[in-house]
Amino acid sequence: MSLLTQHDADARSVRRATRRFLLVAILVTLALMAAIFVRQGLLRQTVSYSFVADTAQDIAKGQAVRIAGFRVGSVTDVDLRDDGSVAVKLDVDADHARFVTHDARIELRKEGLVGSPTMEIVPGADKTRLAAAQARLAFSRADGLGALANQVRDEFIPILKDIKAITGALADPEKGLPGTLARIRASSEALNVLLANGNRQVEGIGGTAIRVLGKAEEDLTHLGQTLEAANKRLPGMLDRTRQVLDHVEKISAEAEASVPPALRDGSAVAADVREIVGGAKQTWPISSMVDAPAPARLKPDSDPRGEAGRAR
Amino acid sequence: MRAELALILALLLGACGSTPKPVDPPRLRAALEAESDGARRYERGDYAVAARRFAEAAKLHAAIDDATGVARNRLHLARSELVLGRDEAALQLLDATDSGGDAGFALDAWMLKAQAQLGLGRADDARISLDEAVALCAGACPHAAGLHLLRARHALAEKRAADSLAHAGAALKLLQGKDNAAETGNAWRLIAAARHAGGNATDALVAARAALDIDRRLALPEKIARDWLLIGDILRAKAPAEAATAYRKALAVAQAAGLDAITMIAAQASQDIGMQK
Repeated sequence: MSLLTQHDADARSVRRATRRFLLVAILVTLALMAAIFVRQGLLRQTVSYSFVADTAQDIAKGQAVRIAGFRVGSVTDVDLRDDGSVAVKLDVDADHARFVTHDARIELRKEGLVGSPTMEIVPGADKTRLAAAQARLAFSRADGLGALANQVRDEFIPILKDIKAITGALADPEKGLPGTLARIRASSEALNVLLANGNRQVEGIGGTAIRVLGKAEEDLTHLGQTLEAANKRLPGMLDRTRQVLDHVEKISAEAEASVPPALRDGSAVAADVREIVGGAKQTWPISSMVDAPAPARLKPDSDPRGEAGRAR
Repeated sequence: MRAELALILALLLGACGSTPKPVDPPRLRAALEAESDGARRYERGDYAVAARRFAEAAKLHAAIDDATGVARNRLHLARSELVLGRDEAALQLLDATDSGGDAGFALDAWMLKAQAQLGLGRADDARISLDEAVALCAGACPHAAGLHLLRARHALAEKRAADSLAHAGAALKLLQGKDNAAETGNAWRLIAAARHAGGNATDALVAARAALDIDRRLALPEKIARDWLLIGDILRAKAPAEAATAYRKALAVAQAAGLDAITMIAAQASQDIGMQK
């Protein structure tokens, strides 16, 4: 009898333990399910927004949505529209919807320039009005590495074009530096020829004049002839002078147009280059390799222009 | 392999542990570089740019209160101005230059002043400058030859041909065996001019040709043109045709080098000898 009584007691005890175990298991399961729901956002209140993008590149369902770096929601839907654009829906926790102003925009950013893409809601300037639920927000993509490279390229291309144009203009045999120098040389040669001719003519005129003056008492008519000759020669000389001056003027005008501004600022450019080279020279390790020059000594020359031999 | 690695490591350790080379302060370095650049340009005959660089160097030295650097560069600048024919500017610069008690700079300054004054035809002022320079150039003075040449120029300007010849001869003696072709050429030119002034045309011609040879070797157009002028002057009395040739050569050199003043002198000389013939 006592054995049966003992058996009943044990059976009850086992049943109680089983019930307790099942209860705990159910509670744990419920807690887990609740956690999953919470994690999945099924139990939280959210506000939906949308935006339209040109492409779905770097946008995916479930992608985190952040405000100031904090995760506040996720992308819920990515759809291709009839017009080829992409409609994106996202949910933001109701608690954080207060940051989504009516002029807020959504920016697709890369973590650390090349990291995974994240959706960042950037609140607008007007904090007085919040975006309504289901509102369509503006969307933009922050510059990634490729975009930055493109930007750099866009900025460099005009500079490279300028450099190409300047070097091209300098090298141009017609209008560039060689051409300009050749024209200046030609013009200076023309001036030299003119000077030589002028000297010869003036000498001729002067010599004739002196001879005529020496005989002035004998024959004044010679002086008249000489002056007449001079009158005949002078207009030619003046005409040539004018031609040469016109030539020089033309060259100056052409040089103004064809010599690039960089050349006109030559001294500034040279100063800049000196500055750069000087700076480089002062930088380790170049500074330790390049010695500062010693004070200069010029070779003495008591008569650098050779004037001693003949009076000036 | 292990030995090579040990050697490389030892070298690296040595490099890291060695005393770093003392580096001049950047401003002093910039001033010295400007001066050095000016000197390079001066040697190349680019005197206008050299003058600008010396002026810049003087300013940089002044900015760091380096009186020696300022004086040195002002003397360089004055020398450049003299080569460019700007005697008055050189003289003003030298008057305003403080040699800071340095006898070497003071001697340079007096000699350059004398040079400028002779160029400007102020023989009396030049004598004062030369006396000051002579007082500073005692004993084994490295500028003795240059000083003799300036005194020879001064004597020639005062029409003391014998004194001029003596000084030029003394200078030539001092210059023998020294690497100073420019001054040797100057000495021969002065000897030629002094002999010519003393009526010794034959020996004057020999000296003038010696000067011409040196100046041609140094490729100095202004001196070459003036040598030809001197040769023309020497030959003028006895061989007018050869003198005319010499003047034409002077004219050709002066025109090719763009030396307007000498071009005019040579043209005038050619014209005069043409009339004489």
